[in-house]
Amino acid sequence: MRNFILFIRRFFNLILFLGLEVTCIVMIQRTNTLQGNDIISSANAVSGLVYKKQNDVVYYFGLRKMNDSLQRENARLREMLASYKSVDTLVDTLALKKVGIADTAKHIIRYAQYIYRAARVINNSTNSSDNYITLNRGSASGIRKNMAVVSGTGIVGRVEHVSANFASVLSVLSSKQKVSAKLRVGTNGFVLWEGKNARVLTMVDVPQQVKVKRGDSVFTNSYSLFPPDILIGTVISTEVVKKNTMQRLYLKPSTDFANLQYVYVAENKMAVEQRALEDSASVKSK
Amino acid sequence: MNVYIKNILRFCIIVLLQVLILNNITLRWWSDPGGFPVFIPLIYPLFLLLMPFDTPVWLLLIAGFVLGITVDSFTNTAGMHACATVLIAYLRTNVLGALLPRNLSEYEGLQPSIKNMGWMPFLVYSGFLLILHHLLFFALELWNLSNLGHLLLKTMASAATSMLFVIVYLLLFTRQDTSRA
Repeated sequence: MRNFILFIRRFFNLILFLGLEVTCIVMIQRTNTLQGNDIISSANAVSGLVYKKQNDVVYYFGLRKMNDSLQRENARLREMLASYKSVDTLVDTLALKKVGIADTAKHIIRYAQYIYRAARVINNSTNSSDNYITLNRGSASGIRKNMAVVSGTGIVGRVEHVSANFASVLSVLSSKQKVSAKLRVGTNGFVLWEGKNARVLTMVDVPQQVKVKRGDSVFTNSYSLFPPDILIGTVISTEVVKKNTMQRLYLKPSTDFANLQYVYVAENKMAVEQRALEDSASVKSK
Repeated sequence: MNVYIKNILRFCIIVLLQVLILNNITLRWWSDPGGFPVFIPLIYPLFLLLMPFDTPVWLLLIAGFVLGITVDSFTNTAGMHACATVLIAYLRTNVLGALLPRNLSEYEGLQPSIKNMGWMPFLVYSGFLLILHHLLFFALELWNLSNLGHLLLKTMASAATSMLFVIVYLLLFTRQDTSRA
């Protein structure tokens, strides 16, 4: 016993050192398995507060850019609205078209499947190998883990940690997540990030016979957690992989990750029901 | 000023400097954005480097752990900064012992600085520990050794820039009028 105590006293520093290093490695390892720990992330109360204070100051410098992006988004939404509605809101005169009762019977009325909540970006990074964005809304505003986050121009990421008033979002610029995507012609593939340049995304698993031109758009499809038909980016260049005769497309992301100000957190109202159904189906097939 | 208060204040200043300002600077060298890795300067290990000479190793280790975890919680890297910082906290005493002519306990109440150690020993001391810290951190961050060149390039570029910031910090925040000879 005495020898044991002497041993501990002699090597106390080494033991402490090894203990702390093991703690660190356990923490890293736990974070990498996507469950994550919510305490040591920028969603915790203290660092969230510091980032909020910083953002309150820096916010004003970005107002001009933000106005521009909001204006562009308004224009886009107005355009979309115009295709549904025959009232042109830009022109004063009304161009009404009466909808007869006969028409409503033929159309299936779809209820909105997604709820969008606006949130402000209070911290943002584009320079590490897994980039995170901190938002000023948390579970108190109805934000939950694994909700999709989109900006006015394209996709942003997925909510990973949530506290009462903050949420941290794993951005698409990360090696940890792949997004299921499609080309305009309907071919499916995956979009991922290779970790080098924040201005280039990669789309893989596109069959070689599909003709892709420079400038073609890539959208989310309905398999992923993102709402379908949201722009991901446009094709810069293509490359044929010799090994499996698939193409790789290099995309320019439509979201400007360096200048994010406002984003929308999309809640899929049908997600719970869909998952319950899929789980029960997979249990039965076993 | 009391040495404890002084170090706690320095802790806050350096962490805020790192988190609020330096983490937002993305540096790239030359105009090639694809080939050369982007990096950020990390100066927060400077807090450990500047703790007094006679700090016991266990206190250094605890301080390094707390410092690393604080920075981690700001950058969502749970444990990576802490792991690298604890390593240099452990090695600091040995490096200082090898560089200084006298036993460490004889430098009572002093802290490592350019004035107390001279330019060359201080640069070797901080440079060595910073490079070690950056190497471990980037290795943990990239987590594959397949492109070793990328890792080394990133480490070297980042360490060189961090050194520059460390020197600027020291020149700015060291009192010029010497009250102690």
